[in-house]
Amino acid sequence: MTLPKGFGSGGAGGSSSADVERMIGKRVENMTGVITIAFWAALLATAAGTAAGYFYYPWAYPTASGHFAFIVLGIIEAIGYIFCVKVSEEGSNKKSNGILTVSIGGAVIFVLFVSMFVGW
Amino acid sequence: MAQMPALIPKEVEIQRLKKLWLMILALGSIAASVEVDNFVDGSLHQTSIRDSAFTPAHWWLYSHFIALPLGWGACAIYDRKVPILRGPNNSMNTGLKMTILGYLATMFTIGVNEMWHFWFVEEIFSVPNHWMFNMGVVVAFIGALAYVVRIYARLVELGAETPGENPYIAEMYKMALEGKLYSRSIP
Repeated sequence: MTLPKGFGSGGAGGSSSADVERMIGKRVENMTGVITIAFWAALLATAAGTAAGYFYYPWAYPTASGHFAFIVLGIIEAIGYIFCVKVSEEGSNKKSNGILTVSIGGAVIFVLFVSMFVGW
Repeated sequence: MAQMPALIPKEVEIQRLKKLWLMILALGSIAASVEVDNFVDGSLHQTSIRDSAFTPAHWWLYSHFIALPLGWGACAIYDRKVPILRGPNNSMNTGLKMTILGYLATMFTIGVNEMWHFWFVEEIFSVPNHWMFNMGVVVAFIGALAYVVRIYARLVELGAETPGENPYIAEMYKMALEGKLYSRSIP
């Protein structure tokens, strides 16, 4: 197969596995760490966003409403997180169920803590 | 099943399609968040008159309507690395084009909406300044669905995904890959 410019053996048409790896870059099955960090960043941003609502605009955004939004969004983000990790690792030998369990468990505790003790 | 010719190595294409899929999953979560805020914004406007553009329900909605076209724009930049996803005449994929146009419409409607509300504070759902929000989202969702199905069909074709076990669904995938899903009578 002819590879794009800059790859392969200079127009001779051959492609080595090193070329293929260079074209791929970081493989999706090795992105679990980045995806986990992105999930936590999203969850913390959601907590901060809803908190800004009920601390600064309580007339428009009561605490119960903010916590309800936070819980629903936390569930949406968790589903997206699980899908991302599962899609990235399918077909490979990688298994990150431990990281997923710890991360989702931590998120549940965090969401419950915020919902019960913050802003009331 | 007709296999489309590959212009890049199969393994590279699978990895790139999956990276696109991860981006779309993240953008799908943002779109789901917008749907939640539709209810938050709607319930707020049933109980209080608009006094400011910067109520929490509006920050939430507007920030997402800016993040979505930018995110899908990032998908469009990465999409160029997958030749099979090109649209007519080597242009951008049609589904992707619709999605970006739809979300751009919602992004520009933020400004249109604020201008309208400068004079009229009523936040009735059906006022004209809200039409383009809703139509933009519908257009974007239709385009995104077409694009996701295209990526999934290609992953099936490359053997990276397994199509539905239901024989009727499998037949639909087969016809879609052969370009016959919407016109059974024309070969």
